Amino acid sequence: MKLWIAALLLAFACYLPCGAEDETEARLLVSKNILNQYLVEGKDLTVEYRIFNVGGSSALDVQLKDDSFPERDFEVVQGNLRVSWGRLAPSSNVTHAVILRPLKSGYFNFTSAEVSYLPTEGSTERQLGYSSSPGEGGIVPLKEFDRRFSPHVLDWLVFAIMTLPSLGIPFLLWFGSKTKYDTPKSKKGN
Amino acid sequence: MAATGKVLVVFALCMFSIVANGDMCLGPQVTSQTYTTPEAIVSTETVFIVEFSVACKNGLKNINLYAEFGGKTVPASKIGEPNGNKFQLSLSDEHKKLPSGNYQVRVFDEEGYAWLRKAQRSGENLDNIKPLFTLDLSHSGVWSGPVLQSEFVAAMTAIFVWWSAYTAKSRLQQ
Repeated sequence: MKLWIAALLLAFACYLPCGAEDETEARLLVSKNILNQYLVEGKDLTVEYRIFNVGGSSALDVQLKDDSFPERDFEVVQGNLRVSWGRLAPSSNVTHAVILRPLKSGYFNFTSAEVSYLPTEGSTERQLGYSSSPGEGGIVPLKEFDRRFSPHVLDWLVFAIMTLPSLGIPFLLWFGSKTKYDTPKSKKGN
Repeated sequence: MAATGKVLVVFALCMFSIVANGDMCLGPQVTSQTYTTPEAIVSTETVFIVEFSVACKNGLKNINLYAEFGGKTVPASKIGEPNGNKFQLSLSDEHKKLPSGNYQVRVFDEEGYAWLRKAQRSGENLDNIKPLFTLDLSHSGVWSGPVLQSEFVAAMTAIFVWWSAYTAKSRLQQ
């Protein structure tokens, strides 16, 4: 008997409305990605934020801010780390990108950005959310990146100049003897 | 009396049209700054960022703008002070899909956006709807490395030097 009552109460509890699981509220999910194959000191780093509204109504006064990049470690090249949208329709998404330039090399932990919005037209309390965090990334010094990827034109030119003595001296010897002994030959041929 | 009445009516109608246009930006002046991805080695996608500010002749502030690019419509992000009319547009796609060239982004206000959505739902041509203004961006293309690898040039030069020495030597030995 007691088991029956307990089971009934449990089943009933599952159907109770719980908080913000309402179909008519906005719900924003934010993903933060670093669109870089290599993180190099002094080269552009692209951060992309994608905001999806998976709720049933528009999110109002959406504000995104990312304070996770200290000024002395990253320089903003283009874009803004604080941005807002008047309204974001349900089942829609919006992208925001910022270009940063790392000023120092080393390991950096990329953490989340914050988003705050009003879930319904009449709400007064702002809903706060956090984006995904890309995790730790190693910012390679420029010297290491260049060692692997730059065309090394200057290095090749220096190499060519260094090989000049070992190639040039036999060439001059041959050329000298060729001009000395070749001209009578060509006269004979004529 | 009748004349003043008519004048008043005409005046009221004029005021009405001005008030009705109160939500629309008239004569927008746009200043913009564009960034496009320069290198493909470092970045995985091409990104266009346009930061622009709009000054309306009728001094309208806090407007909502929407941009249409390549068939996709996105709301413009507001940056800076809340009523400053500064916006940013971020567009990203694969390197192949955004080659170098000139691109146009059409920017609509609330009313234009409503017309645009209506046209999208009824499957009409979206080009007919007149935007508030158009932004032109030129993308100089992403640099994916030099055309000829320097190692290749060095190897070819070395082979050429060897070949000329070899032919000269074989001519000598004939």
